[in-house]
Amino acid sequence: MADSAAPAHTAKTVYHSVANTHPVKVAASGVEVFYADKQALHGINLDIQDRSVTAFIGPSGCGKSTFLRCINRMNDTIDTARVAGSIRIDDEEINDRAVDPVLLRARVGMVFQKPNPFPKSIYDNVAYGPRIHGLASGKDELDAIVETSLKKAGLWDEVADRLDQPGNSLSGGQQQRLVIARAIAVNPEVILMDEPCSALDPIATARIEELIDELRENYCLIIVTHSMAQAARVSQMTAFFHLGHLVEYGPTEEIFTNPRDRRTQDYITGRFG
Amino acid sequence: MQLSLITALALLVLTAVGFLAGRSRALALAEKDGSRLHSLPGYHGYYVALWAGLPGFAVLAAYALAGTMIVNTIVLDRMERAAEPLQARYELALANDDIWSEAEREIARLDDEMAALRGEAEQVIAAEGVQSDAVEALRARQDELQFAQDDARFTRDARANTIAGDIIQAVPEAGDHALARAGFEFARLPVQEREVFLADARALAFGDGLASRDTPELRATAGALQPVHSAIAWGACLGALGLALAGLAFARTHLAVRFRARNRVEWVISATLALASLIAILTTLGIVFSLLFESLRFFAAIDWRVADFLFGTQWSPQTAIRPGQIGQSGSFGAVPLFAGTALITLIAMMVAAPVGLFAAIYLSEYADSRVRAWAKPALEILAGVPTVVYGFFALLTVGPLLRDFALFLGYEDAVTQSALSAGLVMGVMIIPFVSSLSDDVINAVPQSLRDGAYAMGATKSETIRHVVFPAALPGIVGALLLAVSRAVGETMIVVMAAGQAANLTANPLESVTTITVQIVTLLTGDQEFNSPKTLSAFALGLVLFVLTLILNIIALRVVQSYREKYD
Ligand SMILES: Nc1ncnc2c1ncn2[C@@H]1O[C@H](COP(=O)(O)OP(=O)(O)O)[C@@H](O)[C@H]1O
Ligand SMILES: [Mg+2]
Repeated sequence: MADSAAPAHTAKTVYHSVANTHPVKVAASGVEVFYADKQALHGINLDIQDRSVTAFIGPSGCGKSTFLRCINRMNDTIDTARVAGSIRIDDEEINDRAVDPVLLRARVGMVFQKPNPFPKSIYDNVAYGPRIHGLASGKDELDAIVETSLKKAGLWDEVADRLDQPGNSLSGGQQQRLVIARAIAVNPEVILMDEPCSALDPIATARIEELIDELRENYCLIIVTHSMAQAARVSQMTAFFHLGHLVEYGPTEEIFTNPRDRRTQDYITGRFG
Repeated sequence: MQLSLITALALLVLTAVGFLAGRSRALALAEKDGSRLHSLPGYHGYYVALWAGLPGFAVLAAYALAGTMIVNTIVLDRMERAAEPLQARYELALANDDIWSEAEREIARLDDEMAALRGEAEQVIAAEGVQSDAVEALRARQDELQFAQDDARFTRDARANTIAGDIIQAVPEAGDHALARAGFEFARLPVQEREVFLADARALAFGDGLASRDTPELRATAGALQPVHSAIAWGACLGALGLALAGLAFARTHLAVRFRARNRVEWVISATLALASLIAILTTLGIVFSLLFESLRFFAAIDWRVADFLFGTQWSPQTAIRPGQIGQSGSFGAVPLFAGTALITLIAMMVAAPVGLFAAIYLSEYADSRVRAWAKPALEILAGVPTVVYGFFALLTVGPLLRDFALFLGYEDAVTQSALSAGLVMGVMIIPFVSSLSDDVINAVPQSLRDGAYAMGATKSETIRHVVFPAALPGIVGALLLAVSRAVGETMIVVMAAGQAANLTANPLESVTTITVQIVTLLTGDQEFNSPKTLSAFALGLVLFVLTLILNIIALRVVQSYREKYD
C-alpha cells in the first residue's frame, strides 16, 4: 500500500463542482480511523449538504460504515477504534472532548442494516428516545410525539390499533420503518442509514426508499448502500469509497454518468466489488 | 476365570487374523479382477475382523453376565428335586404335631384379635382424638397381644426346628442323600441367608473367596456346582471360539470387488454409537423405575396415605417401628422437609441471584478483555470447589460466626447448624453457576440491539437496563431456575451445616432439615431394608426427582424459546 504512506490531505479525491443549493451540514476534514493498528480510513475530506440525501458507495470493507459511525461517534463504543481529524456539524466540532456523545446521538439518529427494534412494545420503542432525553412533559405530549413520528415513518396506519404489541412482531420492512420512527422521535438533524434495505424484500425496499425521499424535506440524510441503483434512485450526492480512501464525490447524476476516476468507473460498470 | 481370559485372548488374535485375512483377500481379488475395489482394502479387513470378533465376544459377555446365575439355578433346581421326599416328610410331621399346630392356631387368633383392636382404636381416635386415655389403654393392650404373639411364634419356630433336625438325622450323610439334605436345609433358610449359603458353597467349590462354614451340606452343594460350572464354562468358551472361526470364514466368502465393506463397517460404527446412548437412556430409565417401584412399596406400607406424606407436618420416621401401630400416623409427614428445602434454597438464591447476575453483567458489558480473561476462569474455579469443602466451611466457619453474631445481637437460641449458614454457603456455591449461564445469555443478545440503544443516545447503564436486560430476561429466568434445581438437590452442604431436626419453621437461625439430608440419614447406618422408614427415602427421592425434573423442563423451555428468537 504505497498510498497509506502519503500524507492524508494530499489524497487525490476527485471533487465534482456542486451547485450549492443547500448549506453544508456535516463537514469532515482529515478523518482517519484506526482499528487497533489497522488503518481503516485515510484522510477523508467531505462536505455534506443539509436537506438532501448523500449516498456512500463502494466495495464492502472500504470503510463506508466506519465513516458513517464517525458522524455520531458510534466508534467510541468499539474499544479498539481510534478516530483522528475533524468533523463539524453546523460548525461545531463533534470530536471535541467537551461534546457529550450521548447528546450528540440525539441530534444524529442512526438506522442499521438489520432492523433492531427493542424488546418492547411498538409504542415504547418510539417513545424510548423522548423518554430518556426528557423530551415530553406528559403522557399527551408523548402520545403526540409517537403518533407524528410513526406518521412521518409511514407506519401509523398499519400499527395505530396495536401499539401495545411487541416491536418484533412486525414484518421486517415494518420493523425497519419502526426503527426510523424511533430515530425521528428525538427530532434529530441528521439521520444516518447503514444499508437500511439490505435485509428487506423489494416491496419493503421501495417503501423505505419512498420514505427516504420524503424525509429529505426536513433532514440531512446519509445512506450507505451496496446497491448502485438505490443510490441513483434516492440520493442527490454520491461519495465513492475504495480501500479506506474517498475516491470521488459529486452530484449523483454526474458520478453515475460521468465518473472521472478509473476506480469509480470500474465499480459503476460492475468490474469489481 | 482363566479359561475365559484365554478365550478372550484367542478371540483378539482371531480378530487380528480376520483383519489381515480380509485385507489380503481384498487385495488379491482386486489384482485378479483388475478393477478398483468399492471399498479400500482396510475396510474389507475391518469387516472380516468384526465378524470374527463380535459374535464371540458377545457370547463371552453373556457368559460373564449370566453364567453364575445359570449355574446356580440349575444346581438349586437339582437340590430342590432331591429334597422333595424330605420336604414331604417334614410337612406331614408338622401337621401331625400338636405343639406346632397349637402355636400356629394361637398366632392366627392373635392376629384376628389385633385387627379387631385396631378397628376399635380407629373409632376411639375418631371420637376422642389420639391423645386420650382410652387410646393409651388400647395401645397397652396391643403391646400385650403383640408380645403374646411373638411368644407363640417363638414356640412354633423352635418346634419346627426340632422336627426338621429329627428328619435330617434320619438321612445318611453320603452321596445323593447329602444333596437332599442340602436342598432341605436351603429351603428352610431365610432369604438373606440363602445368599450366604450359596456364597459359601461357591467358595468351597471354586476357591473364590473364603467359606464361613464347612458342612457336609455345603460340600454336597459344592460338589454339585463344580461339574455344571465347568460344562457351562467350556461350552461358552468353545462356542465363542467356534462362532469366531465360523464368522471369519463366512465373512471372507463375502468379499468381492464390488462388495460395500465400507458401508457395512459404517453401519456397525453407528450401531455401536446408538448402543452407547441406549445404555445411558436405559440406565436412567432403570433408576427412575426402581425409584418409582420402591416408592410404591413405601406408599403401600403406609396404607396409601399419600396425602399424609405430602401434606403432613410431622416428620419422625424413627417412631413407626411396627406397621399398624396405633396412633402413629403422621410420622411421615414430609412438609417440614419441603419447607426446610425451600427455606435454604430461598436463602441461597438471595445470595446467588444478585451476585451472580451482577457479576455476569459486569463481565459481559463492562469488563475489558484483560479483566475478563482472568476474572471469568477465576469465577469458574469457584464451581470446581468440592461441595464437601463448602460443607466444612459452612460448619466450621460461617455457622459459628453467625451464631456468635446472633448471640451478640441478643438472640438467645442461636445454634451453629442453621438454615442461614447452609443457605449462605450454598448461595456462594451457586454463584458461578448463575453467572456463567447468565453471561452466555447476555452475550447472546445481539450487538445490534445495543448499537440501537447507543445510537438513540442511551448511556451504558441505560442500554443495559432498558434493552439488554429485558432481552436477556427469559434466558436469565431459565438460568435462575436451573440454579434453583441445583440448590434443591444439593446434599453435602446441608448435611453438614443445616442440622437434622425436622423443624417446621421460617426462622433462618434455627436448624432445619431438607429432603436430601433425610434421604442420607434414612439410608446410612444399619437399616432394615423393608421398613417403611427406609422405603420412605425412595419416596423422598421420587419427590426430589419430580421437582428438579419439572424445574429443568421449565427452565430449558424458557431458555430455548429465547434462543429461537435471536438465532
Ligand atoms: N470493529 C472492528 N474492529 C476491527 N476492524 C474493523 C471493525 N469494523 C470494521 N473493521 C475493518 O475496517 C474496514 C472497513 O470496514 P467497514 O467500515 O465496515 O466497511 P464497509 O461498511 O464499507 O463494508 C474493514 O477492513 C473492516 O475489516
Ligand atoms: Mg458496512
